[in-house]
Amino acid sequence: MGSSTSQLSKELLSEYQELTFLTKQEILLAHKTFIELLPPESQNVVDSLTAQVSRVPTEKVLTLPELKANPFKDRICRVFSTAPEKDSLSFEDFLDLLSVFSDAATPDIKSHYAFRIFDFDDDGTLNKEDLKQLVNRLTGTEEDTQLSPSEMNQLIQNILEESDIDRDGTINLSEFQHVISRSPDFTSSFKIVL
Amino acid sequence: MTSFYRNQGYEEDPDYPDFPNSRANLGSQNSPSYSYSRKNVDNRKSQDNAKHSNTHNYPDYPNDMNSPDYSGDQDYPDNLRFRNHQEYPGSYPNMNFSRSQNTPDYLHPRDSSHHSRSRRNPDSLDFPVTPDHSGAKDYGNFRESPDYHVGSNASSSNPKNYPDRLNSLGISDYRGVGSRNNPDFLRTRNNQSYPESLGISDYQGAEDNLVSPDNGGSAYYQGSQNNHGYSFAENPEMDRGALQRDPSFHHPHDRTSGSPGRRNQDYPESFQMTTRQPMSPYIQHPGPDPDGGYSTVSEFFQSMQVWQRTLKIIGGKFGTSVLSYFSFLTWLLKFNILSFIVNFSFITIPQLMESKPNNLSFNSLELLTGAGYFQQTVLYYGFYTNSTIMRKGISSSYNMQLAYIFTIGLYLVICFFCLLYSMACSFRNNFINPHIYSRGTAKVVFSWDFTITNEKAVKLKQRNLTTEIKETLSEIRHENVIAPLKQRMNHLGIHLGAWIVSTGVAIACCVAVYYLSFYNLKFLTDHKNQTATLLLPFIVCCINLFVPLFYSSFGLVEKFEIPRHQVFVIITRNIFLKISIIGILCYYWLNAVAISKKECWETLVGQDIYRLLMMNFVFTLFDSFCGEFLRRIIGTKLIKSLGVPEFDIARNVLELIYTQTLLWIGIFFSPLLPFIHMITLFIMFHIKKISLMMNCQPPSKAWRASQMMTLFIFLLFFPSFTGVLCVLAITVWRLKPSDNCGPFQGLPSIIHAIYGWIEILSSKPGYLWVVWIYRNLIGSVHFFFILTVIVLIITYLYWQIIEGRKIMIKLLHEQIINEGKDKVFLVEKLLKVQEAQKKPSPFSLSLERREVEVSLKS
Repeated sequence: MGSSTSQLSKELLSEYQELTFLTKQEILLAHKTFIELLPPESQNVVDSLTAQVSRVPTEKVLTLPELKANPFKDRICRVFSTAPEKDSLSFEDFLDLLSVFSDAATPDIKSHYAFRIFDFDDDGTLNKEDLKQLVNRLTGTEEDTQLSPSEMNQLIQNILEESDIDRDGTINLSEFQHVISRSPDFTSSFKIVL
Repeated sequence: MTSFYRNQGYEEDPDYPDFPNSRANLGSQNSPSYSYSRKNVDNRKSQDNAKHSNTHNYPDYPNDMNSPDYSGDQDYPDNLRFRNHQEYPGSYPNMNFSRSQNTPDYLHPRDSSHHSRSRRNPDSLDFPVTPDHSGAKDYGNFRESPDYHVGSNASSSNPKNYPDRLNSLGISDYRGVGSRNNPDFLRTRNNQSYPESLGISDYQGAEDNLVSPDNGGSAYYQGSQNNHGYSFAENPEMDRGALQRDPSFHHPHDRTSGSPGRRNQDYPESFQMTTRQPMSPYIQHPGPDPDGGYSTVSEFFQSMQVWQRTLKIIGGKFGTSVLSYFSFLTWLLKFNILSFIVNFSFITIPQLMESKPNNLSFNSLELLTGAGYFQQTVLYYGFYTNSTIMRKGISSSYNMQLAYIFTIGLYLVICFFCLLYSMACSFRNNFINPHIYSRGTAKVVFSWDFTITNEKAVKLKQRNLTTEIKETLSEIRHENVIAPLKQRMNHLGIHLGAWIVSTGVAIACCVAVYYLSFYNLKFLTDHKNQTATLLLPFIVCCINLFVPLFYSSFGLVEKFEIPRHQVFVIITRNIFLKISIIGILCYYWLNAVAISKKECWETLVGQDIYRLLMMNFVFTLFDSFCGEFLRRIIGTKLIKSLGVPEFDIARNVLELIYTQTLLWIGIFFSPLLPFIHMITLFIMFHIKKISLMMNCQPPSKAWRASQMMTLFIFLLFFPSFTGVLCVLAITVWRLKPSDNCGPFQGLPSIIHAIYGWIEILSSKPGYLWVVWIYRNLIGSVHFFFILTVIVLIITYLYWQIIEGRKIMIKLLHEQIINEGKDKVFLVEKLLKVQEAQKKPSPFSLSLERREVEVSLKS
């Protein structure tokens, strides 16, 4: 990693380190990965840091081996993108993403973003439609793994029974976090490492 | 619960001496409107509450209105201060809790904040209520609000409502509008998220909503709640707006990505980061290392990275469950490195300075038996001297006896606390309020394993998830159907039979080991054959390998309805078997070998343990090869229906626990055993990794990895470590060490080394305090009696607190449900009002408004 140290200035590096949950090495690695995603003409340090110039389109980010197979990859990019059309990631967005998915991020932050990733229609609550879509992504699109409509209904009914504490038919963030707090595996599995 | 504490805690805060008043104030100030609104709701609890606040707190009202606390910006300063103090340890006294429980109005603090929120938030919450109370003050407020002027229709007024709405979101606008760069605020925000990040309270999320208006989560919640209300007003724009607002809590650089100057202040994360860093248990987290030390630290990380890489690959292919086995292995490895360093530096190095050259010959079989050449090395107890080591030129001396006993003792104490700490941590994280434990379909759905990156693994995981979901659903369906009596008796009979058979097998194994060991002892005194010493460890390892396989074949007969039960039953049986075998061996060592008048029995025991460990290692290699490799060959080539074997986490982890137990017993008899174990663990890590990568597939059942880890650490603590302590205590207090070798030769028992030392010290005036501590604290029965009583009292108190918390949780749960009902009710009201408002013309509405203004003036 010593060779890539020259790419980011020390101040910037320590700044990023302070602002994220990542270590220096991880930031450098992230930067390297990010530059590789950029088109060849803007593969330099200055360009890669200017958010206006270099945004990697979502399709390109999704080719990363860490995200390629993930069933929620498009949602992840969408949640972390700061572009108005939500279709591209700047380097800082990318760092954000890795920071949230890192080891050191607090369970609180992780569950917050998990909620947003699962909230497919971006309306701030998980309603039945969101849950349905979520289950569909979990079970995959193949014929033999899909749930029948009645199974789906029953499952959603169960999920709501368990997690919808105030019985309003949707799961909001705090209810979601409550469920997550009871599943200690969440923090270790909500993780993407470059 | 914690946040309730927090809330209570700030009553105690010295900065806020007049809180009881202001609390009443909060309650009373808001209660009028609140009670009105609540009367509509068919909700006895909150209604009672509201009444309560009326009758009790209303008299205070005029006074408090004049109180300076409320002169300015109502709640914000208070909230901030309250947040700042919440993590002071002083604000967590226990009596606080009991008080809060006993006082009839303990619900107030929460309610009041809720009230105040609804109060500040006329657009969203009071609005739907208003039509029923046209005379009420609130109604007037609402009518006078500028939003209303813009449009008479609720939906059309929304865009204008937006800034106001942000006010209602509590703090979010407070910083969004005014002091965005105010670092104070950021710090408060940070404080509050910090206890949450520890995950102390499971109710946190839900409760914070009620308690704290300035919590990130709650702002979101509130936003969504409001949105929810408003989305009926057909305004999706609004929803998105509020939602967009929210992420700025965590990532304000959404807005400031171009300006590096401000970024520092705008990242709340940076502050969270700084507070977390010292607490972070992760070693790979270097923190702000100074540039000077960069090279050494980074070198260290590069060596760690090898592991990190491997673990990542394993996680990517097999998920967290298999990963947990490997992290357990690395944890044990680190643990053994620690014990090796301790033993090596305090026992072995001084001994090496003294030792004579070893002139025994060495042959390769001795690597396995640990006898012969090794007998005269620092590996075993017998080689250590009982003399005091003196160096020329250095006046101080090094007493080997004391060094030996204190090093081992200290190591065991460190082990004890390490285990206790990790056990307590994982208990706290994983067994939080088990009484609300549910079937966990939600957990299955919400915890997708993001670490998996392999495409095939993802497909497999999806398939497994589908099966699991389907199984759970069918379980729920069949739950109500109780099986007929005959079938149940049948099941019970099978289980009983399986238990009898498994216990019988375990007892038979124990008996076999017992007779074999005693016979072996006799045989070895007659013949001097090295290979014969390997018989006992070989048999023990065979039992350890094949009996568990036999046990798991019971699974075909015993059909458990819940797979988790099967795992637990298998683990219980295996642990019973292994622990009883170790128990028999200990009995043999302490009762036969120790009194057999052999020279240096301690070394013999050490050799036995060494052989067991080595043999076990060989068997593990054999198992990886045959059990997994051949099984795969058979599964893929010959009998296709078997398929690729799954990685058996339970069996492998139990194996690790077993070897660790042996190691702990052996550490007294052979201080360098951790070094041997370190090497075997290191090799095992790589062998297992290769075998896993080549032969296995991920487990098909969802495996609650961290809950299992808790169980494993508990097992490592309870039968294993406590058993070891018993064995070593007997060795130290009861048994007579051998006469001609080892550091304790000639003493009636090992503990006499300490007695002698205290005798010597008591003649030296400078060390009388040590003697005093020994006599009055460590050696005194009274002291331990008092200590025990105190600990029992504390335990009882904590137990009572837990009981109290359970009641609180129940109450809060009910309250949340009631709030939900309120919400639904209010939403319905809102809908009705909107229906009603669509019909009348703007003219009549403005007329109505004027009427209200007139009534207000009067």
